[in-house]
Amino acid sequence: MKCTECGHEASPDKFRYLYNARIDASVSMRQCPNCMEVLAVDELKREALKKVGLGDAPWGKSAGIEGLAEDAVQTT
Amino acid sequence: MAEPALNEKIQEFEGKQQWWWAAEVKRSKRLDYLRKAVWRKGSTGGAPISPIKLDLEPALRRIELYKQFKQEPLPLRMAKIHSAMWGSDLIYIVDQSQIVGSKTPSPSTEEWYGSGGIGNAAVYNYPEILPEPLEESLKVVHDVGQFWDQEGEAMEKLISGGDPEDMAKYQSGAIAWGSLIGGYSGKNYEYFMTGKRAFEDIIEEIEENIAKAEEKTQGVSGPDILPLYNKILNWEAMKLSLEAGIRWARRYARLARIIAENFETDPKRKEELLRVSETCERVPAKPPRNLQESLQYDHFIQVLARKEQVEGAWPARPDYYHGPYYNKDVNIEKNITKEEALDLIGEFLIRAYDMPVVLAMGKWVREGLQGIAGTWVWTLGGVKQDGSDACNDMTIALMQAARLVRTPNPTFAFRWHPKVKDEVMREIFECIRHGLGYPAMRNDPILIANAMHWHRHPIEEARTWVHQACMSPCPTTKHGTQPYRMASATANCAKIIEYALWNGYDQVVNMQMGPKTGDAREFTEFEQLFQAWVKQMEWLFSLLTRTVNYARYVQSDVVPRPFLSGISQRAVDSGLDIMRPDGERGNAWITAFTWVENPDSLTAIKKVVFDDKKYTMAQLMDALEANWDGYEEMRLDFVNAPKWGNDDDYADDMMLRCLRESARFSRELKDPSGNSWPILPENVSGNIHYSSIVRSLPNGRRQGDALYDGGISPGPGLDKKGPTAVLKSCGKIDHIVDGRAFLLNQRLSPTQLQGEKGYQLWRAYMKTWADLGLDHVQFNMVSDETLRAAQKDPEKYSEVIVRVAGYSAHFVDISRKTQDNIIQRTIQGIG
Repeated sequence: MKCTECGHEASPDKFRYLYNARIDASVSMRQCPNCMEVLAVDELKREALKKVGLGDAPWGKSAGIEGLAEDAVQTT
Repeated sequence: MAEPALNEKIQEFEGKQQWWWAAEVKRSKRLDYLRKAVWRKGSTGGAPISPIKLDLEPALRRIELYKQFKQEPLPLRMAKIHSAMWGSDLIYIVDQSQIVGSKTPSPSTEEWYGSGGIGNAAVYNYPEILPEPLEESLKVVHDVGQFWDQEGEAMEKLISGGDPEDMAKYQSGAIAWGSLIGGYSGKNYEYFMTGKRAFEDIIEEIEENIAKAEEKTQGVSGPDILPLYNKILNWEAMKLSLEAGIRWARRYARLARIIAENFETDPKRKEELLRVSETCERVPAKPPRNLQESLQYDHFIQVLARKEQVEGAWPARPDYYHGPYYNKDVNIEKNITKEEALDLIGEFLIRAYDMPVVLAMGKWVREGLQGIAGTWVWTLGGVKQDGSDACNDMTIALMQAARLVRTPNPTFAFRWHPKVKDEVMREIFECIRHGLGYPAMRNDPILIANAMHWHRHPIEEARTWVHQACMSPCPTTKHGTQPYRMASATANCAKIIEYALWNGYDQVVNMQMGPKTGDAREFTEFEQLFQAWVKQMEWLFSLLTRTVNYARYVQSDVVPRPFLSGISQRAVDSGLDIMRPDGERGNAWITAFTWVENPDSLTAIKKVVFDDKKYTMAQLMDALEANWDGYEEMRLDFVNAPKWGNDDDYADDMMLRCLRESARFSRELKDPSGNSWPILPENVSGNIHYSSIVRSLPNGRRQGDALYDGGISPGPGLDKKGPTAVLKSCGKIDHIVDGRAFLLNQRLSPTQLQGEKGYQLWRAYMKTWADLGLDHVQFNMVSDETLRAAQKDPEKYSEVIVRVAGYSAHFVDISRKTQDNIIQRTIQGIG
């Protein structure tokens, strides 16, 4: 897996697992061991998607009537 | 600002649902000042919220007094130490305040009394809370710790007397939450808060009891007089404590008078200070005569009880006990206006908000009670002992004041019953709509029946109930009050399913914790797994309740409470320390953290492994061993299995089965009064604290993920069939006999629930809730946009409040993981 910020490449398990706030989505947050940035990771594709900053929502918005229940990555 | 301009500002803020800015404009200058003068208490899961420092001097003074009174019998020693400390503790009066009294030596410090053994771990781990210079402070902490290590600290005495294996497992941090000393106090309000008596009256009763006892101990000898010697000591200790409390309050009277007569130049403020002085001269010595005295009386008692010992909760029923004084002052004699009453009540809330607990306490508190000092859940509404509606003008005034001052603590829980007036329901809805996260709604008829079922309280006593902590009802009567309930009967229930899978072994703490119930890889039928689960459940609940029973049994020999005894009728009548369970009906419950993971995991295994046969148990165990890493497709299969909260009998039946096994076993477990130990699923922020302590589970979570937010709430985002389905699932539980109470978090849309239409939608929802017989529900009503914006720019959103679990907190005062967990809770459309 390659970090989207610094380009560091390693197997996904080397990127420290932080958490997934929506267990029904395949997106989690992991930390790059090189630049220490927090990344959104597609656990199905084993691919880093983007950096997660304050207020960013790798899981998309809440399900329910607020209208946007899309996850950052569609699950099969 | 001129009034039209003010109204315009308020409308602008309310239109944008920025309730916190609207409140700042609406409240009086006094309330605004007092609200902003508070240094926020609690921690964000690690660091303290405000740069508050510990004051180490009380710890040194306590040691000197301990040496001075060492030869005294224990109850008298405690009373004399407190008496001396309360006589010399620093006191202060906040400018513009009308209600005084603080546990802390100053607004920006908290007192530290010191400990031995591991009790000081938090102070070493968080040196930022120590005053400068750091080296000197660390030396004081070290010397204090050494002293208590040699003397034998109360906690060490307790632990060393208990069963060694129980204590080791309890202290592991894996299965239990809480301390063996410290917890949630009940209060015998029917004894001291009805206006019939105050401290001087109780002292008279005590003196009479001592005189009668001494007549016997100075008379003819016999075995019947032997218990009286200790009782006399206890009574003397109670009397000393109450007298010390009166003297402490009168120090505030003197201070207020000194300021008024020598320093204050504003005539109006001078008059207020003299009234404060008169109030403090009167209470708590004598019964209150008006609203200010009533609130001051209550506040003094709360502070004194907490100066005696840490109390992690705040059972109270402020509308019931202060309502008559409100009615007298505002409606009948018209001594004060409604606005003046609101100022007093708003300040009463602020004083409670200012009460500290957490700073020097360990990780389990910092992470488990993020954003607050303790769970101050005040009970409103309900019925009187004769069954009639207890709501009054004070009920409404408290909610109006709460919307003005917007303190996350105290939080309210409203005892709903079918005769609550629409006017009161509208006030409740306004609080929820303003994003306070409270009042939580409690189903009064259900909970009264529940209290009678589990703890045999007569109906009139059950009707007096208040929240002893976040959720559990407790009467306020002589035999019904539980004066103390250790937090330690709090179970990390996710470990039950974990141990059922791993043969009782905990790989996080590397110990054989639970019994060996078999290698799950070799299970060929679901029933084998379920029976393993039952055995682990029975083991866990037995260990925790044994520990708490033991601690309660020996508490009065190790750390008696003469002050709390002095305001408890059972203790005053009997001469026994109130911690003794003699004469108490008991109010025990097991707080079941991380409960829903159990039925959801069991359901997933039953469906995917044993019904659909998509994977074997061995394959599942391999995936769990790997923390689901590299097993994402398989993990999603387990996630997509039926889940609790969707009105699906396949999943809901598993919940009922787990609850009813626990209820069955609860009846075998007995507390020191001989009553049962029912479970009560709820979490505070324990779902975050345990996120790294619980391994991956078959519901699809990985180690590190937050556990569900608690009680019987479905997992975040896993309730996919709408709010009625959630209620229907929860309605399948029998909220009287299946457990003590059941917490349900729901999130509502601030957009949808605007205006009168929104109120009617909410009323319809509450009718369904009541008809289905649920006992609890509480609401978050704040949008994702606001919460995400608060994460990006916390300073601009510092006043946004969210309902975390059994309590509310400022959103910016909780950890990022907790914030994300709350945001992912499903917003239910109820239209």
